[in-house]
Amino acid sequence: MDEAMLLSILLQTAYASTPLLLSSTGEILSERAGIVNIGLEGIMLLSGFVGVVVGQETLNPLLGILAGIGAGALVGLIHGMITAYMKGDHVISGLGINLFALGFVPYGIYAVWGVRGYFNPSDQAKVPKVFGVSPIFIASLVLVPLIYYILFKTRFGLSLRACGEDPHSADASGVRVERMQLLASVIGASFSGLAGVFMSLDWLTTITKDLPAGRGFIALAIVNFANWNPLLGLLGSYVFGFSWVAIEWLKISALKQVIPVTLLNTIPYLVTLAVTAGALGRSRPPKYAGVPYKKE
Amino acid sequence: MPPEKEVAIEMVNISKVYPDGVLALDKVSLTIYKGEIHGILGENGAGKTTLMRILYGNIKPTGGKIKVFGKEVSFGSSKDAIKIGIGMVHQHPSLVPVFTALENIYLGLPSNFKEQVSLKELIERTGIKVPLEERIEDVSLGIAQKVEILKVLYRGAEILILDEPTTNMTVEEVKEFFSTLRNLKKMGKTIIFISHKLKEVLDITDNITVLRRGKVSGSLPTSQATPEELAKLMVGREVFLKLEKQGSRPGEKILRVEDLWVKRNDGSWAVKGVSFEVRYGEIFGIAGVEGNGQSELIEAITGLRRAERGKVFFKGENVTNAHPLKLYTMGLAHIPEDRQKTGLILDMSVAENSILGIHRKRDFLRPMMIFNENKIKEHVERLIQQYEIVVSKINAPARSLSGGNQQKVVVGREFSKTPDLIIASQPTRGLDVGATEYIRSLLLKMRNNGKAVLLMSSDIDEVMGLSDRVAVIYEGEFMGISETSSVSEKEIGMMMGGYKMGEIGIK
Amino acid sequence: MSLQLKLGERYKEILFSISEVALATLIGIGISAILIKAGGYSPTSAFFYLFKGAFGNLYGLYTSLSYSTPLMLTGLAFALSVRAGLFNIGAEGQVYIAALGAIIAASLALPSYLYLLAEFAIGIGLAVMWSLFAGILKVWKGVNEVVSTIMLNWIAYWVTEYSRSNIFYDPLSPDRTIRIPITGRLPILVENTQLYSGIFISLIVVIVTYVILWKTALGYEIRAVGLSPSASKYAGIKYSLVALEAFALSGLFAGIAGVMETIGRPPTYAIVTSLTNLVNLGFNGITVSLIGRNNPIGIIPASIFIGGLMAGATSMQIFAGVPLEMVQAVQGIIVMVLALPGIIRLIKSKIRRR
Repeated sequence: MDEAMLLSILLQTAYASTPLLLSSTGEILSERAGIVNIGLEGIMLLSGFVGVVVGQETLNPLLGILAGIGAGALVGLIHGMITAYMKGDHVISGLGINLFALGFVPYGIYAVWGVRGYFNPSDQAKVPKVFGVSPIFIASLVLVPLIYYILFKTRFGLSLRACGEDPHSADASGVRVERMQLLASVIGASFSGLAGVFMSLDWLTTITKDLPAGRGFIALAIVNFANWNPLLGLLGSYVFGFSWVAIEWLKISALKQVIPVTLLNTIPYLVTLAVTAGALGRSRPPKYAGVPYKKE
Repeated sequence: MPPEKEVAIEMVNISKVYPDGVLALDKVSLTIYKGEIHGILGENGAGKTTLMRILYGNIKPTGGKIKVFGKEVSFGSSKDAIKIGIGMVHQHPSLVPVFTALENIYLGLPSNFKEQVSLKELIERTGIKVPLEERIEDVSLGIAQKVEILKVLYRGAEILILDEPTTNMTVEEVKEFFSTLRNLKKMGKTIIFISHKLKEVLDITDNITVLRRGKVSGSLPTSQATPEELAKLMVGREVFLKLEKQGSRPGEKILRVEDLWVKRNDGSWAVKGVSFEVRYGEIFGIAGVEGNGQSELIEAITGLRRAERGKVFFKGENVTNAHPLKLYTMGLAHIPEDRQKTGLILDMSVAENSILGIHRKRDFLRPMMIFNENKIKEHVERLIQQYEIVVSKINAPARSLSGGNQQKVVVGREFSKTPDLIIASQPTRGLDVGATEYIRSLLLKMRNNGKAVLLMSSDIDEVMGLSDRVAVIYEGEFMGISETSSVSEKEIGMMMGGYKMGEIGIK
Repeated sequence: MSLQLKLGERYKEILFSISEVALATLIGIGISAILIKAGGYSPTSAFFYLFKGAFGNLYGLYTSLSYSTPLMLTGLAFALSVRAGLFNIGAEGQVYIAALGAIIAASLALPSYLYLLAEFAIGIGLAVMWSLFAGILKVWKGVNEVVSTIMLNWIAYWVTEYSRSNIFYDPLSPDRTIRIPITGRLPILVENTQLYSGIFISLIVVIVTYVILWKTALGYEIRAVGLSPSASKYAGIKYSLVALEAFALSGLFAGIAGVMETIGRPPTYAIVTSLTNLVNLGFNGITVSLIGRNNPIGIIPASIFIGGLMAGATSMQIFAGVPLEMVQAVQGIIVMVLALPGIIRLIKSKIRRR
């Protein structure tokens, strides 16, 4: 294997891992505050779509990225209102997000561009490379340690984690639990939003209803695997991300004689199943993650 | 009272009617002076906690006035109370278990917070020494209480409300704790000490207000109070009724526990080599401060938790780590400690709860595991009648019942199994006097009929009043087992605080 | 008198549920109207044709009922899991894999009278096995069932798609699998409509499940585990066994749905490219279950409602030009609103406070 190929595999792995990394990091933040959002898949899809719409209309990829993040934040706001303030069921609300996105995005693709199935943004709308690599990929590498630092080294992070561990005590100590949870939900979801635009405007540069292809749920598995720690999430995301690269790799290798190409598509999901089954047992979720906090 | 004393708190005619019409407080008035330790004494349900939560801004009163340092106040939430220097330490400390003491002290401080004294100085002045870098989940409840007090003081509290602070402390810890309180008093802090423990209130307070059924039944300086007087004000009768008890005629062994070792959920040892036996015709009591392994011990015996080492024999058969169902069919019944989480399924109906654990009994089933609803109806109606359960209809969810009636459903169901051994954990906790006495009399009747009772309770009066023999558990070990008639409450109390029976001179 | 009281309160409760669902639906329709408008279409004509296509004439009604046939079962699959405290969203993949099972049966050389039996046996068997994968991972390894069932859905998708394109493809029409032999099909109920006799099977399964849940010790244990794991342990109920039972039953229901869609719905009687004739049947079951308040009886009208949306979507697309996926988005909004506990009570208390 030559250097160029190794570099290419590395870069491919990095790109395949970036959406997982962003999405799982956001969810770690959110769950640390007690808000579980299983609608990551839907958020990625919605944001990916919104990003392409705005990017394509304005031919300004930056606006596209911001719109995608904004769409994620909006969904996080709604989810946070439902769960933190109105004490709704976290899982059901998340399911609703996924169902909505699954219907809204194909509808939107047709409504906006009059095509069925998929739309590819034009080159001016695509995110340009910085030093030959994706700026969102670079941002992800900055954001993860930043989130780690905020969560574990700041007063704000202390208050945030208290909401997920023991909201009653947090409340009694003067933390505004619901506001904090809403904020965490908004920030967490905007990370998945960024993951969505990364895919639609940067890495894959297309929008279809299968854009996330289960990545939102794999990100959930990574949260678990990483024991709610963003630095471990980095590791997890790259392990899972590599499984996608492996497909492409295997498709051109000799193995395709043995395993047909269509079946290779199952690899990321099999890896996720195998790793979560093997790695669990030692992780400890925030105690009140997903439990509606009710004041006495 | 010397007239020069400054009044810290004045509560005038405070009333509280809950939305369901319950009158929790009826025109309660009290005055607390600056720099005193003021005891609020009363039984469970007398209204102590409600009154203090009103003072702390948690609950809004239905009527009355509150003045703090001469100024009338009206609190929207406890945040307002904190602002003017009132701090409350709840029975279960409001601390995040996985955070260190230090992190908990700093948690949630407003961004514009200015410390009056540095934490270090505060620790020196008050003499409250706590391991600041340890996680709360790794320290004892006594230490956690102290962390909480430190936290409240650090935020500038001048008035401290302590709600039953000694519930989970050993004798030694209480002693140390009281010297801390005296220190705080010297610093000029005002302390409100809520308790139902006569001795402690007599020991530490300057003035006492006694509540009974939402009213002030008495208010007096501690120097003029006697235990008998206070008890009378508290319960409204001269002495505690001693339960009628005939002499025991213990028979054969029914339960034998040999060197049992049990772990907590976190993997630490909860029970370290406990052995005892229970005989037909006796009540065997296990006393101890909560959290000393008694819950895990009972769970291990009843098949709800794994015993790591040791053996349990029931009716001569080795039933170590047996499935609960097997134990039930062999004649064991279990009134669990937590009726709401374990004994009942609150969202199921009373009828469904009445067959919990016996739902596969042939009496209740038709072929194909279909329920025989007539039989179930008969069963639950019999329980309702026999145990005087107040319930609107048998299909009402158990959640809608009062605590006492919920417990009666559990007790009735367990007795309906006609067991030979009943294991009762904290059977009367949180219940009113009527329900308490009724349940106690049932346990006694069981014993008088020649059956066996294993009673676990942290209420000394209950254990001493009911048991024929009593064991005291401390940090997972039995400090001693004795005939109840040959130990005093004081000796039991010492064993609960970690003294072995040998050390205090009982044979 | 007590009977009257009981009935009265029961009615009140049902009315309450209905008004909650109605409100959620109104919100769903309201928001989607805005989205339809924003897409440059007419909301009134969209909803007019949606309703007309669903319930406006007999043909529409039959189509709606035909879609309610699998939805009743996938809804039931989700509802039963929720009752056991599990968020099993694997019906989607179990439908695929059951359909594949039916096609496998069809590919075998069997006496003609055995096809129906073989289709159900293989399809259901595969679906139950698929569901039990997630169950075993949950019980033995503590793997979150939301994650595992989604992964299994994707694996099922690719396995089925692979089998369609590489093994069981029809040489005459490679975009779909071989067709179910005539003797292996479920009879059509009304000629020239899609309503096939499977709806009776669905109704029977729903009613039997209702009886199991509320009238038998098995159902009692399932509900007990869902409501209070600690109390059910105390009651001697084996959690892992009950959880596996719940997974198996869910797989069974989804399996019947997958088989029936393949062997019952005219005119295809096969699996088509990208499984488009199966996609979303499982996910829509989640909406059905939530609208039906996770109660088997409630699931019957709920499945007809969502079946109506699916049926009406086509007419909405043809006559109002609105892409049919919009109805999926409406469902998402409805589900999000239904995540709120006692929304009517919430609104009432807000109003009273003012």
